[in-house]
Amino acid sequence: MAAARRLKRVAISQPGFLTLNPKVTPTDLVSSRRKRVNKNKKKNWNKYSDVQDVEEFLEDVRHQERTTGGLLCEKSDDSLFFLDVGQPKKVEEKEAAEPVKGKKRKGKSSRPLRIDLILQHDSLVAPPKDVLAYQKPNAKKLRRTAERAEKLAANGVVPRSKKRLLNRTVVDRMSKKTETEANNNPERDFYDIWGQETKDLGEPWYLQQTRKKLVKRPEKLNEKPSVLPAVEVIAPGGSYNPDFFSHQELLREAHEVELKKKKVEDKLERQLAYNKADTATEETILREQVEGLVEESEEEEEKDAPKEDGEEVAVGAIAVADKKTERQRKREKAEKMKEQQRLTERRQTEQQQQLFQLRSIKTSIKQQEETTQIRQKRRKAKEEAQKAQPRRLGKLKFQPQDMEVQLSDELAGSLRQLKPEGSVLMDRFKSLQKRNLIEPRERAKFKRRLKVKYVEKRAFKEIS
Amino acid sequence: MGGLQKKKFERGSATNYITRNRARKKLQLSLPDFRRLCILKGIYPHEPKHKKKVNKGSTAPRTFYLLKDIRFLLHEPIVGKFREYKIFVRKLKKAYGKTEWSAVERLRENKPTYKLDHIIKERYPTFIDALRDIDDALCMCFLFSTFARTGKCHVQTIQLCRRLTVEWMNYVIASRSLRKVFLSIKGIYYQAEVMGQLITWVVPYQFSHDHPVDVDYRVMATFTELYTTLLGFVSFRLYSSLNLVYPPKLDSNGESEPKEESEDDYAMNSESYLEKLSALSASLARVVSSADEEEAQLDQFPSEGEDMEKMEAREKELKQQEAQKKLFEGLKFYLNREVPRESLAFVIRCFGGQVSWDKSVCIGSTYDVTDETITHQIIDRPSVGKQYINRYYIQPQWLYDCVNAKILLPVEDYFLGVTLPPHLSPFVEEKEGDYVPPEKLKMMALQRGEKPGNEQEEDEEEEEEEGEQEEEQEEDDNGDEEDDEEEVAEEKNLKKMEEQRSQGKSLHVKVTPGKLKVENKARLEQEEKAEEKRLAIMMMKKKEKYLYDKIMFGKKRKVREANKLAAKRKAHDDSEKAKKKKARK
Repeated sequence: MAAARRLKRVAISQPGFLTLNPKVTPTDLVSSRRKRVNKNKKKNWNKYSDVQDVEEFLEDVRHQERTTGGLLCEKSDDSLFFLDVGQPKKVEEKEAAEPVKGKKRKGKSSRPLRIDLILQHDSLVAPPKDVLAYQKPNAKKLRRTAERAEKLAANGVVPRSKKRLLNRTVVDRMSKKTETEANNNPERDFYDIWGQETKDLGEPWYLQQTRKKLVKRPEKLNEKPSVLPAVEVIAPGGSYNPDFFSHQELLREAHEVELKKKKVEDKLERQLAYNKADTATEETILREQVEGLVEESEEEEEKDAPKEDGEEVAVGAIAVADKKTERQRKREKAEKMKEQQRLTERRQTEQQQQLFQLRSIKTSIKQQEETTQIRQKRRKAKEEAQKAQPRRLGKLKFQPQDMEVQLSDELAGSLRQLKPEGSVLMDRFKSLQKRNLIEPRERAKFKRRLKVKYVEKRAFKEIS
Repeated sequence: MGGLQKKKFERGSATNYITRNRARKKLQLSLPDFRRLCILKGIYPHEPKHKKKVNKGSTAPRTFYLLKDIRFLLHEPIVGKFREYKIFVRKLKKAYGKTEWSAVERLRENKPTYKLDHIIKERYPTFIDALRDIDDALCMCFLFSTFARTGKCHVQTIQLCRRLTVEWMNYVIASRSLRKVFLSIKGIYYQAEVMGQLITWVVPYQFSHDHPVDVDYRVMATFTELYTTLLGFVSFRLYSSLNLVYPPKLDSNGESEPKEESEDDYAMNSESYLEKLSALSASLARVVSSADEEEAQLDQFPSEGEDMEKMEAREKELKQQEAQKKLFEGLKFYLNREVPRESLAFVIRCFGGQVSWDKSVCIGSTYDVTDETITHQIIDRPSVGKQYINRYYIQPQWLYDCVNAKILLPVEDYFLGVTLPPHLSPFVEEKEGDYVPPEKLKMMALQRGEKPGNEQEEDEEEEEEEGEQEEEQEEDDNGDEEDDEEEVAEEKNLKKMEEQRSQGKSLHVKVTPGKLKVENKARLEQEEKAEEKRLAIMMMKKKEKYLYDKIMFGKKRKVREANKLAAKRKAHDDSEKAKKKKARK
């Protein structure tokens, strides 16, 4: 570096050196004046050695190298100057152009554009190299593995990763479709669900915890909540063409049900009824209005009298009892003891006496047992009867369905004229409720959140 | 002394139960979802014995579940599906609100669904368990299959129900297992015996729906969801037990081939198969085509005494059943258009008859009205235009009555325009001493093989017959009474003798030529038995005697009532007859 600099300096000091910047003369660059400074300190070197000229010179050199492709002083004169001979003759050019038309055109196209020439890279400084563009990390290793892979492929050995891909189970698109099949799809397929036994893979506890095996259903859940049959066949009177007596029987039953309903209704009405004698007449109204005006004074006097009595009584009740004396207390204690002794004695004698009452005691015990047995039986029978009864499962009680019955004149003569009575849907629903499978419920009432306002439309208004 | 104070409602029944709302919260489900889950899993509310204890001192009516049941529900994978569905709905709503149609489509494609197969397997561990619970499933499916497609429930559900019911009916036909039919005002009740289980179901009349408002359709749809799955699996098993192809296919080489023409008039190709199946007129294809199945003979085991009797009875029953199965075999029916086609075709085919109808009524008719080999034409109108001489024109009730009576009843009572005899319920089983309507008695007599003379003649004979029958009935009824009467008679005789002895002592003494006493062995035996019974009664303790008397009194009262009813009926019939006669004159 230093050597090169020295060389450049030498070049400049020579008389033929030309600077690119015409203002700066080469003599300026080399200053003659010197200043005395201690040169044994590095600090002073930096401070007092004037390197400005050198820097400028070097900058100039670099500039020349960059832009003109070398030092101007080293270039030949031909490359720097040309002889100006004025405008070339146009006619001549034209004449020369015409005979070799194709050639000229070719030459024109082959000549580079000026802009391209300007932009052409002509500096001597080579552009910096991108090392990473040529170097690959791990190039050797990669090359070696590639070579090995080629060799293996030639031998017909499949690499592991590829093998894994090949061995992968094919995901069935159809299986996904079957999974998303709706439950009520009319074309759905059935299979023998009871025939195939599921194989137990692994430990049951593990399977249960990982939800691969379902929890066992408790046996108790398979019991039916009611003893009633699923389908209760209608009474023989419900035939479309019933026997006379069974029809009458059914009618009687329906009648009884209606009677019961009527009775309940009547009872309610009776309870709600008011006494007609209690209605307000003119007289009673008048009396009410005048009340307290006419006989006021007498009543007041009467009222005052008992009040005073009451106060006296109250005062008497509050009066505190006297304190007991020591003697009294002792006597009470003795009495208590005596009483207790008497009772124990009595009990003892009674027990002794019971020895002679063994027979009667035996009979009484027997009686007791009998009664308990009877009660047990009764209770059991009641429970049995209760089993067929619908339970109270919610807010509402089970309401049996209205009996389906056709009156004698409604009965159809033939199957064609039959008008079905009642609804099977309702029957099924009530049956579910009756068998305690679902709780009786009321239909949720629709609640309007915002008030409705009725407005007559104008067109309508005009007419009405 | 001491210890911690016991807190209330922290042990005992209060901890065994859980209210519905708490259960719902525990499962993190909405109420409809919770209800659905409970129905699917077969977990029902429970009424506690001591409500106040369970309800923590309050007496407010609440729905309770057993805590253990709810804990069991927690393991159910469907719960997760329900939650997924909830999220799906939420997303869908959002996509709709933002009018993102592509998102809507994508969500729709990935709609979460669930299967009930594992629940079926869990609730019904064996096939017989499932078969015992099939009544409900059948009723529900038959009901839903008659619904109009008006949006009360999914159309797909209706179609599935229809398919399953058709499959069921075809199975019943193929196995010939129908036993009883009852036409009620509500619907038609059927009873079949499948693998030893009596299965009853009710089918509503067609086009009779007025949808009641106070029925929770959501609950019903949930039940149907479960039951369709159940019925599907059951029918698969049933079909395979008969070596039939499942899903059912029509037998291609059956003798009664439905006519192939004009199929396109009825339905599209995709639908016509189900339609043809539901016509019930053709037999089904078998996996192994077995032309003649060997009748399995009941193995005979040497047995003694009572077992023998039982065996004989059973054998007799079996024979009767076999006969019933072939009730309509060899008969050819033609259904007029005004009769309920499906029910009649089902019944006829169940007992081996051939059936056809007008080809404009339904697909699958096998022969025309003009066919000369038709034996019975079912008709339900006052008159017909052209009548063929070699066939009976009868009303539909005849078929049902025949099925219930297990014999071919005389056709005369069911002719065109004749007032029909009452249609009796086959589901009533009369106990001893109950009132039995005369029509049933007649039927029973016919079953026993007694020929009730010429019935086509006039009323008088009928009356006589009825009289006979009534006597018969009285005999039947009074079976037990007889003994008592005998006793009474004997006692009377004895009393007379004694009286005579005490009165006069001058008895007529006379020697008469001895009569040979014909000893009737049977009679003697009976007498001996009666004597034994009498002695047994005499030896009874006071208490037992009291009970015995009570029972006997009850029986007598029953008989008395039955007699009264019979007399009433007779009076009623007489008056009717008198009216008729008057009218005729």
